[in-house]
Amino acid sequence: MKQKRVAIVAAGITRFGNRQATFRDLIAEAGKATFDNNKNIKPKDLQSFILSAVYPERAAFQGHPAPLAAEWCGVRPSEFHCRVENQCGSGTTAIRTAYCVILSGLTDMVMVVGAEKVMVPSHGEIFLNAMAGCDREWEGCFGVTPPPLFAMVAQAHMKKYGTTEEQLALVSVKNHNHSVNNPYAHHQKGASLEQVMKSRPIAKPLKLFDCSTNTDGAAGVILTTEERARDYTDKPIYILGTAQINDGYPWVNYPKDWSSWPALKIAAQKAYDMAGISPMDIDVAEVHDCFTISEIIECEELGFCEKGQGGRFVQEGLSDHGGQVVVNPSGGLIACGHPFGATGVRQAWEAFIQLRGEAGVRQVKDAKIALGHNLSGLGEHHILIYGRN
Amino acid sequence: MATTDKKYNYIIHPDVYITDPVPLQTPDQNRVYTFYDNLREGRLTTTRCKECGCIAWPPRVVCFECMSDQLEWVDFPDPGRIYAFTVQENGNPPGFPVPTIYALIDFDNGKRIISPIVDCDPSEVTVGAEVALKVVPAPKDRVLFFFTLKDKK
Repeated sequence: MKQKRVAIVAAGITRFGNRQATFRDLIAEAGKATFDNNKNIKPKDLQSFILSAVYPERAAFQGHPAPLAAEWCGVRPSEFHCRVENQCGSGTTAIRTAYCVILSGLTDMVMVVGAEKVMVPSHGEIFLNAMAGCDREWEGCFGVTPPPLFAMVAQAHMKKYGTTEEQLALVSVKNHNHSVNNPYAHHQKGASLEQVMKSRPIAKPLKLFDCSTNTDGAAGVILTTEERARDYTDKPIYILGTAQINDGYPWVNYPKDWSSWPALKIAAQKAYDMAGISPMDIDVAEVHDCFTISEIIECEELGFCEKGQGGRFVQEGLSDHGGQVVVNPSGGLIACGHPFGATGVRQAWEAFIQLRGEAGVRQVKDAKIALGHNLSGLGEHHILIYGRN
Repeated sequence: MATTDKKYNYIIHPDVYITDPVPLQTPDQNRVYTFYDNLREGRLTTTRCKECGCIAWPPRVVCFECMSDQLEWVDFPDPGRIYAFTVQENGNPPGFPVPTIYALIDFDNGKRIISPIVDCDPSEVTVGAEVALKVVPAPKDRVLFFFTLKDKK
């Protein structure tokens, strides 16, 4: 029997940035953008709704956000609805959840919206909120947030493989220059190597431009069965493979060598096997560049280059247009910004427009297969592989 | 110089718990309060399972290997050694000073701890350096565990 498949039939996004908008405003914008993307689907056609959001309880003082979000998108779910939270990997987890619910037969069409209000009026509170995403009792209590953690990842990778600060910076330069052509990105002005290298220090060796940007934003996708997809669009995008892994918690319990992320390698292989492809088949990769070092290690563990060669991979232009695989054509988390719950859905949106040939100036030529990768820690990874066929 | 002299001004509001970053440490709030009692005596400890011998970090109330709830407190071996470190210069949460040196510290029991290294200049810290426990007071009669370099230059 042929394996049942799930397809994306609509995708929409809000402008990312320091938005003059509330959490619910962002949700409504993403809902409209998603329905505007496919006029064949109306809110009342949806019987299922999933919200991806990480900390509306802290940043918007709003608990129980899933029914609120569904209502703000005009959806009255009668088959399935919930909120999904998996820190920075929430968006991909939400799409995986929709995938599972559709294949279970409980429902045959799901709207997924990822949304995050990050930019609260008191700026320092953003960092206080970030602490809550670490183990608050044993890590957060010291003021530990992701930047020092990923800084130590960078230290370990530089020591073991000789990766340089300039190679880190080149990831940022590439992604900032990609987002010049993304009208929804937080940053659209590009960046030079000098600008990145001279940006203010955050946690050594990471500088401001090595870090993803705190930002507000939301994105939406609608998924359905392969059979129903053709009722709504001539160009559905299929989920070919997916995988997820969590190897240790909290951070100090990840495998000892922080320059290697074996969990990602395992998850990637599972997803490739499920899709029946190899890393060399990926045309577009939206990977989790929460920090520049992350993208370097991800290119290694995803199999785009040899272990330890991630710095050279970006330096030689192999992750840029005209290279082996275009990594983060949207600008990634670094240049689009990283509204936590929205990011995985934003990656799905990029995969959707790239594979349909609708990405405009930043279109990856003849893109057939795309990969989306979210992480929520060094050992916690979430992968989706999308295909045109 | 990153030291404990730099003031930690935790945001603690009498009626709002959510911004207080320091764990609750008393028996009425937390079942691993013994960790903090030991810490007040200068001992860095964690739980070991009496059934299977598994040592946990952070300390637990149930063994994650065998699900036994018969656990005992054991001391961390001395010294810890720095696996990696960074100096945070910007972007710390409010109430936490910069610069702060954060380090991953490995112990011979196979456990790793993350904590600030204090009372030294960042230039003195090296990978592999040995560190010693420094118990630091926190608001409302609480304590936290920082580390210092054993051999200062």
